[in-house]
Amino acid sequence: MNRLYVSLLLGLMIMLQASASEIKLENFQADTSVVAVERGVDTFMNACHGCHSLKYVHYRDLASFGIDKDRIAAWRGDSTLDSAMSSLLSDEAALLSFGRVPPDLSMMIRAREGGASYLYSYLTGYYLTPDGKTSNHFFPLTKMPDALEISTATDPVKRSAILGQAHDIVSFLSWASDPHEAERKSLGYYVIVYLIVLTVLLYNVKLQVWSRLKD
Amino acid sequence: MANRIISWIDHRFPLTSFIKHELTDYPTPRNLGYWWNFGFLAGFVLMLQVLTGLFLAMHYKPDASIAFDSIQHIMRDVNYGWLLRFMHSTGASAFFLVIYIHMARTLYYGSYRAPRELMWWTGQGLLLLLMATAFMGYLLPWGQMSFWGATVITNLFRATPFIGDQVVVWLRGDYSVGDDTLTRFFALHYLFPFLIIGAVVVHLVALHSVKSSNPSGIDLADKDNIPLHPYYTSKDFFGLGVFLIAYFIVVFYFPHSVLEPANNVPANPLITPDHIVPEWYFLPFYAILRSVPNMVGGVVAMALSVMIFAFMPFLDRSRIPGGGRYRPVYRILFFIFMLDIFVLGYVGFVPPTDETIAIGQAATIYYFGSFLLLPLISKAEDKWLFKRGLPPKILALIASEEKEKSKRRQR
Repeated sequence: MNRLYVSLLLGLMIMLQASASEIKLENFQADTSVVAVERGVDTFMNACHGCHSLKYVHYRDLASFGIDKDRIAAWRGDSTLDSAMSSLLSDEAALLSFGRVPPDLSMMIRAREGGASYLYSYLTGYYLTPDGKTSNHFFPLTKMPDALEISTATDPVKRSAILGQAHDIVSFLSWASDPHEAERKSLGYYVIVYLIVLTVLLYNVKLQVWSRLKD
Repeated sequence: MANRIISWIDHRFPLTSFIKHELTDYPTPRNLGYWWNFGFLAGFVLMLQVLTGLFLAMHYKPDASIAFDSIQHIMRDVNYGWLLRFMHSTGASAFFLVIYIHMARTLYYGSYRAPRELMWWTGQGLLLLLMATAFMGYLLPWGQMSFWGATVITNLFRATPFIGDQVVVWLRGDYSVGDDTLTRFFALHYLFPFLIIGAVVVHLVALHSVKSSNPSGIDLADKDNIPLHPYYTSKDFFGLGVFLIAYFIVVFYFPHSVLEPANNVPANPLITPDHIVPEWYFLPFYAILRSVPNMVGGVVAMALSVMIFAFMPFLDRSRIPGGGRYRPVYRILFFIFMLDIFVLGYVGFVPPTDETIAIGQAATIYYFGSFLLLPLISKAEDKWLFKRGLPPKILALIASEEKEKSKRRQR
C-alpha cells in the first residue's frame, strides 16, 4: 500500500518537472574561475557595457575576487575603483535608439527562468530569417541587436570563438549575480559535515537514554 | 554555593518546581513516533526566523525607492548577509513544511479529538498568523512577484461586503500597493512574530494541561508515561539534527530554489509578470481561489479551505480512537486527501488552461466533500467496524478511555 502512495507522488513530481521546461535550453555550466571570469569581463566591457549597466557590481569587487589590477584600471577608465560598473549610455539616449532602456545585468542570471542556461541560449540563439532579418529562437521579441554577431557567422572557427565568448560572458554574469557562491558552497561543506557528526552523536545519546527504559 | 543560589531563587520564584513540573516530571506517552517531533521543530524554526530576521532588519530599508537595493546590499556587502538572508528565506519554507507535517500528523492520528480541541484551534490561529506574516514578509524584497502578489491578495479584500474598496485602501495605505504598503508591512512583519510567540505560549499551556496525544489515540495509564526530559529532549535534539542537515543543504546548495526568478526584477507597477504565482505553501489554497469562477465565491472558498480544519472535532463522529491507525476508511480518506492537496498545488502552480481548471474544480469539490461528508462516513465506518467486531486491543483502549473519562467526571 505504501509503495503505491510513493509511486503516485513520484509520478506527480515527474509531471511537474516535465511541464516546467517547454523550450529546450542549452545546458550551461558556468565556469566561475578567476581566469574565465576575467575573460568574461573583458568581452562584457567590449560587447555589452556600452548599453548595459551592472549597478550592483563595483570595480573593487572585481579586485577582491582576484582579477588583475591593471586590467581593472584599463576597464574603468576615469571611474573610481569604488564606483559601480554603470554604462555610459543615458536612459534618454537608450530610449531614442532602442525604444527601451536596456536592463541592468547584475541580477540577470537570477531574474530569468532557466538562469545561466537561458542567457547562454539567448545570446547564441540569434539567426537570420529567410528575408534577411535577425531574430532569436528564445526571445523573438527582443530589442537587442545580435551583439556577438553569431547570426551572420558561418565559418565554424568563428562560430566556436563566439560560443566561447558567450560562455565567458555568462560565466562572468553568473559570478556577478551571486558573488558569494564559491564561499557559500565551501562553508556549507564544513557546516554539513559538522552537523552529520553532531547528529550521529545525538542519536547515540538518544539510544543511551532510552536504553534505561525497561518494558 | 549553586544550591544556595537556587534555594534563594526558589523562595521567590518557582524555578525548581517549574522545571520539575514541565520537564523532568512532565509525563509524556512512551509510544510517540518521530511524527511527534514536529511541534518542537516548529518552535525552533520560529526562533531561527526571529533571530535571522532581527539581524536582517538592521540592514534592510523599508522604503520603496531603496528596498530592492538594500537586499542586494545585504547579499553582497554585509558580512555573511547572504547567509542571513538565505537562512531566512529558506526558513520560511521550512516553517510551513514543518507546520503542515505537524497538522497532517494531528489529522492522521485524530489528535484533535477531545480533550485536545483547544490545541487544534490555537494551532489553527497560529497557522493564520504564520500565513499573514509570510505574506507580508514576501513584499519586503520589493521585487516583481512581491509587488504583484501583494496587489492580487490585498485586492481580494474587495470581497468584503459594503466596505470592500475602503478596506483595500486601508490595508494598502494608498490606492495601489506602494511605499506606504511597504512600510506598514515591514512594521507588521516585525510585530506578528511576537503575536505568534504569545499564541505559542497559549498553545503550550493548553498542551501541558491535556498532555501530548499519542498513536493509540487515548490517554495512557501512568505506567506508560515517561518524563519529557531526558527521554523526549534527547529524541527531539536528534530530530533537530536531521532537520538542520536537510535545512542547511538547501541554504548552502539550493538557496535559489525557494526564490522566484521574477522577484529578482525590481517591482514595476507598469509591467505585470507573465503569470503571478504565490509561494509553494499557498498554492493549494490559490488553486481553490481560482477554481471558483466568481471572485467573491473564490475568496469565501479560499478562506473556508483554511478554516475548515477547525471543524474537524465536530465533523469526525467516530468513537474509535487513533484516527487512521485503527480506521481503514479514514486512513484511505486521509491519503487521498493528501494527494488531492498535491493536485491542487500543481493546479495552482501552472498557468490556467481549460484542463487544469477542470482538474482544479474537481479537486476543490473533493477537498470540501471530504470534510462535509466526514460526519456520515465516520459514523458509517464506526458502525461497520463495531459490527464486524473490533480487535480486543482496541476495545480495551475504548473501555479504558471510558474509565478515564468517568474518573475525570467524578473529580
